[in-house]
Amino acid sequence: MIAGFTPQPPSMPDLASGPEPVIELHGVGRRYPGAPPVDALVGVDLTIDAGELLAIVGPSGSGKSTLLHVLGTLDRATSGEVIVAGADVSRLSDRRLSALRAWRIGFAFQHFHLLNGESALANVADGLLYRGVSGRERRVAAGAALERVGLAPRAHHKPGQLSGGERQRVAIARALVGRPAILLADEPTGNLDSVTGRALMDLLRDLHASDGATIAVITHDRELAASLPRQIDLQDGRIVADRRTVATRPSSGLS
Amino acid sequence: MSTRTTASSPALVRERRPSGLPRPAGPGVFELLRIGARGVAARRLRSTLSAIGIAIGIAAMVAVLAISDSSRASLLASLDRLGTNLLTVSPGQSFLGDDTALPDEAPSMIRRIAPVQAATSTTAIDATVRRTDWIDSGETGGISVWAAETTLLDTLGATVRLGRFLDAASEQFPTVVLGAVAAERLGINDLDVALTVWLGGQWFRVIGILDPLPLAPELDRAAIVGMPAARTFLDATTAPTTILVRVDPSQIDDVRAVLGATANPQNPEAVQVQRPSDALEARAAAASAFTALFLGLGSVALGVGGLGIANVMLMAVLERRGEIGLRRALGATRPAIAGQFLVEAVVLAVLGGVLGVATGTIIAAAYADSQGWPIVISIVGVAIGVGATVLIGALAGLYPALRAAILPPTDALRAS
Ligand SMILES: Nc1ncnc2c1ncn2[C@@H]1O[C@H](COP(=O)(O)OP(=O)(O)OP(=O)(O)O)[C@@H](O)[C@H]1O
Ligand SMILES: [Mg+2]
Repeated sequence: MIAGFTPQPPSMPDLASGPEPVIELHGVGRRYPGAPPVDALVGVDLTIDAGELLAIVGPSGSGKSTLLHVLGTLDRATSGEVIVAGADVSRLSDRRLSALRAWRIGFAFQHFHLLNGESALANVADGLLYRGVSGRERRVAAGAALERVGLAPRAHHKPGQLSGGERQRVAIARALVGRPAILLADEPTGNLDSVTGRALMDLLRDLHASDGATIAVITHDRELAASLPRQIDLQDGRIVADRRTVATRPSSGLS
Repeated sequence: MSTRTTASSPALVRERRPSGLPRPAGPGVFELLRIGARGVAARRLRSTLSAIGIAIGIAAMVAVLAISDSSRASLLASLDRLGTNLLTVSPGQSFLGDDTALPDEAPSMIRRIAPVQAATSTTAIDATVRRTDWIDSGETGGISVWAAETTLLDTLGATVRLGRFLDAASEQFPTVVLGAVAAERLGINDLDVALTVWLGGQWFRVIGILDPLPLAPELDRAAIVGMPAARTFLDATTAPTTILVRVDPSQIDDVRAVLGATANPQNPEAVQVQRPSDALEARAAAASAFTALFLGLGSVALGVGGLGIANVMLMAVLERRGEIGLRRALGATRPAIAGQFLVEAVVLAVLGGVLGVATGTIIAAAYADSQGWPIVISIVGVAIGVGATVLIGALAGLYPALRAAILPPTDALRAS
């Protein structure tokens, strides 16, 4: 476990030999069949290390969501090699991939995808549903995760009673409740106004800085992307730039 | 709003990843039931409407089965009480087509057959009965006059509702006992004051009213006088019209075979022998044809109800693509998704089934009660009914569940 303030960039505590890759893509392509076929991804090489916080930017239709789906094993590459948490995705059955998602990958989406009939707490608890964890354990963990994103007082509200920003926090808590190896967020601020969006990015930065969470954020907002330590530019399914910037923000905390 | 926290995360769940590749662990059946029940509860109106088809089908089946069971139980109980060992002997037509009569000594001849426990003679009398002498003689109210022996009630196993039956003294005098229907038609409900009726041009004193006689329904509509009284006051001959014979139950067929020759040695083939309990048994059997019809209708309703559930589940799968995509992202396997929708369909169907069992039972109980029947609800029938709804729900949910399971997660997530 991570204790106290974590220096930036955080490293996984159990690793003595520096960060290890969470996801590796080698020459990955994704072609949608049709006439003509659409190449949504072409020859993508990308390595994401544990403890990274990065942005994937690009104009609409550049293949960002497709890339996120491939990274998250929701979609299979039509060429190249995808290695998630050390496992070659192309060799895994749908069952194994599902388990990989259940244990290693957290998702957040532009449209939140919360279940409207359930409380915030129950929604977050569902993040552990497919791990075979008991309901009581799920609720305890969910309560802690909600507290972590600052929504403990809203635990028993339904999504319909929450603001957009609060809903996205619930979704982030659900994605992180099981401590996945990586959080993949597809335009998490896309449905939020700029102030709320900035607050949400602050939360993600804090989760990264304080808890060492590995986070990839998709956005078409270049300014927002520039505020993160690493930016990957996508254009027509190709990576055209992969920049690392020095930490642009101070370490989190109330100091 | 500040989201910064000072201390880092005891908040997130403790590290508990398995080493190596994680194994899939779906939610158990109990978990799926909870999710399914929530899915049903979230769309209450639609769920109720789609469960109604099943409810109607099950209600029809449970009700008709219970009603026919109750009616059969009541018939069999009355058969038990009345016995199936009563035979009736009456004159038929001779070989040449003439009406015949039974000889006067037929009852005593029959009583000599060893397995015959009792035999009693009744004679239809050509007379009318009215409340008073100023009512027109054409208005008989369908009431006939019969003469009977004092052993009638014992032979039939019948009882009087009010008063008493004819005995060795009263059969000599102008006294009359009324059948249940006859009393009602004459408007005689009690015997608190001495009552007389105008019978065959004489006043006859009413001394008793009988309970219904299921084995001799013709006597329900009769005014019954004694044999000697019929001869004395009504100037009638009392050749037997019907002889009621109570037989040792194990030797009914043997007795039946010799009754004709015993009752009328000159004309044995002109004697009709019947068994009145056969008519009651036929009624118990006839009820099952009616039952089959309703069972058929009930299963049609069940089929329609199943289609309704399939339809609602298919709609649910289309509407909830986002949820399906999300659950896949959370790690649900395809079987877990299929299981969720399958269980939801079964929950819907069983809901309808339980509703139907309750409704059907209430209907059957109310009906049986109104008929004065014992209420018979077969637990096995109810269990089969609920079991059938599980099957129907599973069948109805199968295709929608498969559709949900094979939906690619990316399509499901892009849908909303
Ligand atoms: N199922 C599909 N069949 C065919 N083409 C598809 C399919 N899904 C996506 N595409 C195409 O793939 C390309 C990349 O799509 P993608 O959704 O990844 O873009 P994006 O960068 O996420 O865009 P946006 O910013 O608008 O969300 C687009 O040209 C799109 O039309
Ligand atoms: Mg997109």
